[in-house]
Amino acid sequence: MNGQYASLLIALPLISAFFVPLLKGAGKKAVGYFLVVVTALQAVIATLVFQQVYDTGKPIIVMAGGWKPPVGINLYIGHFAALFVLIVAVVSFLVAVFSLRAVKVEPIDKYAMLLLLLMLGATGMIATGDIFNLFVFMEITSISAYALTAYNKTGEAAEASMKYIILGGIGSSFFLIGVALIYGSLGTLNMAHISELAWTMNPTVAEVGLALIVFGLAVEAEIFPLNAWAPDAYQAAPHPVTVMFSAFVVKAGLYAMARIVYLMKDLWNWSSILRLLVILATLTVIVGELAALRQRNVKRMVAYSSISQIGLMALAFALGTEAGVDAGVFHMVNHAIVKTLLFLGVGYVALTLGGTGIENFRGLGRRMPVTAFSISVGAVATVGVPLFNVFWSKVRIILATLDVGYTWAAVLVLGASVVEAVYYFRLLHTMWFGEGGERRDESLTMGLIMLLLALLVIAIGVYPDYVWNIAQKAGNDIFNVAQYVKNVPLMGVGA
Amino acid sequence: MISAYYFGAISLVLIGLYAVLVKKNLLKILVGLSIMETGVNLLLISIGYVSGRSAPILSEGIGPNQAVDPIPQALVLTAIVIGVATTAMALSAAILIYEKYGTLNVEEIRRLRG
Repeated sequence: MNGQYASLLIALPLISAFFVPLLKGAGKKAVGYFLVVVTALQAVIATLVFQQVYDTGKPIIVMAGGWKPPVGINLYIGHFAALFVLIVAVVSFLVAVFSLRAVKVEPIDKYAMLLLLLMLGATGMIATGDIFNLFVFMEITSISAYALTAYNKTGEAAEASMKYIILGGIGSSFFLIGVALIYGSLGTLNMAHISELAWTMNPTVAEVGLALIVFGLAVEAEIFPLNAWAPDAYQAAPHPVTVMFSAFVVKAGLYAMARIVYLMKDLWNWSSILRLLVILATLTVIVGELAALRQRNVKRMVAYSSISQIGLMALAFALGTEAGVDAGVFHMVNHAIVKTLLFLGVGYVALTLGGTGIENFRGLGRRMPVTAFSISVGAVATVGVPLFNVFWSKVRIILATLDVGYTWAAVLVLGASVVEAVYYFRLLHTMWFGEGGERRDESLTMGLIMLLLALLVIAIGVYPDYVWNIAQKAGNDIFNVAQYVKNVPLMGVGA
Repeated sequence: MISAYYFGAISLVLIGLYAVLVKKNLLKILVGLSIMETGVNLLLISIGYVSGRSAPILSEGIGPNQAVDPIPQALVLTAIVIGVATTAMALSAAILIYEKYGTLNVEEIRRLRG
């Protein structure tokens, strides 16, 4: 197979999103099940792509319209993209199943369309090999994210969405200026071509351009000074959407940032950009953890925890070594699983008991044992207790940080983990030892999904080697830029 | 000597940024956001301009050598549409905020805190 079917990863959600308004006449149920079927199909295609990429060891290059890059736009589905496209598709499928139950009040047809577009945007951001195309997919992702945040039509939802729109608007404008500067000095938009020519750039232009691009992506990636929108958006968005934000929208931004930063490796002042990123990432971890400590709302608390984990990944990517990038990718995979589990659990509790305040979680162990067990597994795993998956990735990130000599960063991040343990164990205490109400029935599908995810968390925790190998290959995809450039069949034009 | 196009485009971006940072009225902030997007589009277009050449439409008397760079024009066409979509989205959120809070002053819109 020549792999061009991989373009279906973009085409299928797009076509299905346009079919949703037509299906609206067939009733609410039909739209919900359509969403489940489409995301399941996407997961099947993503699995095929994943298998092909990991079996052959070669990336799938999709050339739009048959034009060779850098003239045409190309999709580069290497080890990293194949892995994350699979994660995006599977998480979307779980979210679609959850949405059948969770989205009842507001019209579901608009919701289904936006959800498919969000999935499309994240897939495109991860797969694209063109810097302007990255901007377009980023805007698709963020505009559907703005709309989904405001979806509940309460005052809080509109406020959170407005904060997100203003910050995202500034960020995307700055990103576009960065793209303009790079295009103005190199005359190309293709990532592989940019990397080939990067050494010819005027260092000042390159520095400003790269800084603006990193700034623009940091809004999406929730790096410290630009992440004020995130906890509000997580809290006010519908529960299934929160799962998607935390599981892959953030990671698409973070990946794009890491990809572009590593493309520009040949710049003479590359290490100073990395040092800035290390500082910002460490601050993200600390501020996120400290803010989570004093939350009374469980969803907001998990949101802050998610932000600080993102800081940990950004730290790993900013180290500039192969060990760091591998550990970062490993943490991305683990975090996607754990946070899907946590937000699904918290969302399900909120649906059943009405609200995410801490008082709803009192005595949950007796009222909803399966959900409480799954949330406990997620919480313990996030803290990084041995025999759970996050332990391995956290250890690898700390070791990689020490290797480079950033002892202060490692110490601060470890200190923040202690804070994390405090608030998660407080939650566990409330759940299992609080006075509770009567027993509630739990749905079979939700219970199965959560138990499956919890099982995955423990399985990776006990046998980390399989996933670690995959993460190493995916990390190599980002770190080894020379290999990336060689894989893209560049036409000999330009400089 | 910096060209007037670059100077004007960057000034527009800065004016927009100023409005977003300083103004208290939500609608003025959104106006600032729009001005900023316009500035960015102008900057993109002026990067592709080659002095003394005409629009990149190949017709009689105008060959590939007499046209300006067509790529930034395609980029700007996309960016304009994206900007309009963002503005429309933001305006509908502003309407919702006015309905629920009864004000557009950003200092009074803060129910989500902590």
